[in-house]
Amino acid sequence: MEYILHLAIIVSIFAILGVSLNLVVGFTGLLSLAHAAFYGVGAYASAILTRSYGWDFFPSVLVGIAVAMFAALLIGLVLSKFDGDYYALASLGFSAIVYSLFLNWRGLTRGSLGLPGIPRPEIFGMSFSEREFFLILALLCLILVYAVSRWIERSSFGRVLKAIREDERALRVFGYRTLLFKLAVFVMASGMAAIAGALFASYTRFIDPNVGLLMDSVLILAMVILGGMASLKGSIFGALFLIVLPELMRFVGFPDLVAAELRQITYGLILILLMLYRPQGLLGKYKL
Amino acid sequence: MDTLLQLLVNGLVAGSIYALVAMGFSLIYGTTRFFNLAHGSIAAVGGYGVFLFSRLLGWPLWSGVILGVLCAGLAGWALDKLIYLPLRRRKASGMILLVASLGVFTVIPSLFAIAFGTHFHNLIPSTLISVLRFGSVVFTQVQLIVLGSSVLVFAILVLGLRFTRLGRVIRAVSDDEDVAKIIGVNTNRVIATTFFIGSAIAGVAGMLTGFDTGIQPTMGFGLLLKGVIAAIVGGIGSIPGAILGGFLLGSVENLGIWQIGAEWKEAIAFALLILFLVFRPEGIVRRR
Repeated sequence: MEYILHLAIIVSIFAILGVSLNLVVGFTGLLSLAHAAFYGVGAYASAILTRSYGWDFFPSVLVGIAVAMFAALLIGLVLSKFDGDYYALASLGFSAIVYSLFLNWRGLTRGSLGLPGIPRPEIFGMSFSEREFFLILALLCLILVYAVSRWIERSSFGRVLKAIREDERALRVFGYRTLLFKLAVFVMASGMAAIAGALFASYTRFIDPNVGLLMDSVLILAMVILGGMASLKGSIFGALFLIVLPELMRFVGFPDLVAAELRQITYGLILILLMLYRPQGLLGKYKL
Repeated sequence: MDTLLQLLVNGLVAGSIYALVAMGFSLIYGTTRFFNLAHGSIAAVGGYGVFLFSRLLGWPLWSGVILGVLCAGLAGWALDKLIYLPLRRRKASGMILLVASLGVFTVIPSLFAIAFGTHFHNLIPSTLISVLRFGSVVFTQVQLIVLGSSVLVFAILVLGLRFTRLGRVIRAVSDDEDVAKIIGVNTNRVIATTFFIGSAIAGVAGMLTGFDTGIQPTMGFGLLLKGVIAAIVGGIGSIPGAILGGFLLGSVENLGIWQIGAEWKEAIAFALLILFLVFRPEGIVRRR
């Protein structure tokens, strides 16, 4: 039971990441490989505030969101000038820079030693250290992120995003400043990723620079594409599938090291097979 | 002054490996117009080939070198046949090809990790490495080999592209695939050949990295990043540009290590990429 609760919490955290990345990749058609970097920023901001400065979890999440959105604003100002494969590449570049900040800004992050002993959230003296409560918190965050994303999808703002995906130049001819729209959705998605990061940090109670790793960005991207481009429900399904599937391999009885590598292989193969046979994903409405 | 000279020499050696990766990447980009992210992992195939044949099976080094490079070339060729060619036949967009190559990039290092373990391997016993002095500048023998073989590959590729029939056909497909098709060029075969040549060159880079610092399953990641940066900084699709870009990146990186610190090496490389993307996206050598 504990184990199922654990899986459910991890799935919720990654579903938040999947849904928010889908706003950028699925709706706007921008292949960002930097999503895990903002997840990392949120995780570090919240962890540092709660662990070293004794803040409560909830205000620390708000600061984490703000820091991640500010970082996304700076990065997005450059990134939004690109599209297509150059966007993917430049976002890869930024995620490597953020990673080396985590690794090398030792005064703040303790580098590769990581930050142990991150406290669990508390509200009105009630602690979320029980897994049941933490799952409720994670699900509430997921519902919030999903609702906001759904609202974005239906708003006129969301329609402009989809139009950018279809034909950015035509939209510019109509007088839309597409750069601002691309920047805005990137900043919002990064703020949502920061929520997931803060949840992850306080759940595992330990983070190191590997939280912002490229491989996580690939995993989140695989969730989005598997679930379906521009399908928010799809992203939740994608997170569920890609977290639970490798766990099954553990029961088959591979040694831990091999199981970890097999997990990577599964993610990679899923991406390749999807591109070959169903590039819009399972529930997707649109092809890359 | 001496430090500066030594740093430039180190930059030249590192840069020649980057240039090799960049050349293959550029060559493949030229004919297919997509970012083949699997290129770095293919480079690692070269290194692991030498390891398998010369260290594990105990065959002479020269046969390991030839087989390693051949394996890398064949791996690239097979990727084209199995994944990229079917996608091109379906008129898949560059983004779909890019995501598929991202999948390959995730799979290959894990295969190496399962087969050969995750730790470092040396390709040659370190006792065999001797140090040479020219005045105040110090070389290792391996560095000389790296420099020498890179220059050899540069010369063969540049002359081959200019003066052989195959080279002319490759350039024709790079200029305009449709026109090349109309005048009777079997473009898919040319692209397959390009994959073989480009991947074999990447294999040389992976092998030289193995001689210089050793091999590791994830080595392809670093090689890919540096190669792509060099290719874009130099001017994507241009072979002389790839060489220039490699040397520029190697020198900037080593000067950065000296002035800022070795731990920021990755960040410096990406800062260079982003500077170029913002201020001179076409790179040093503009492609006509």
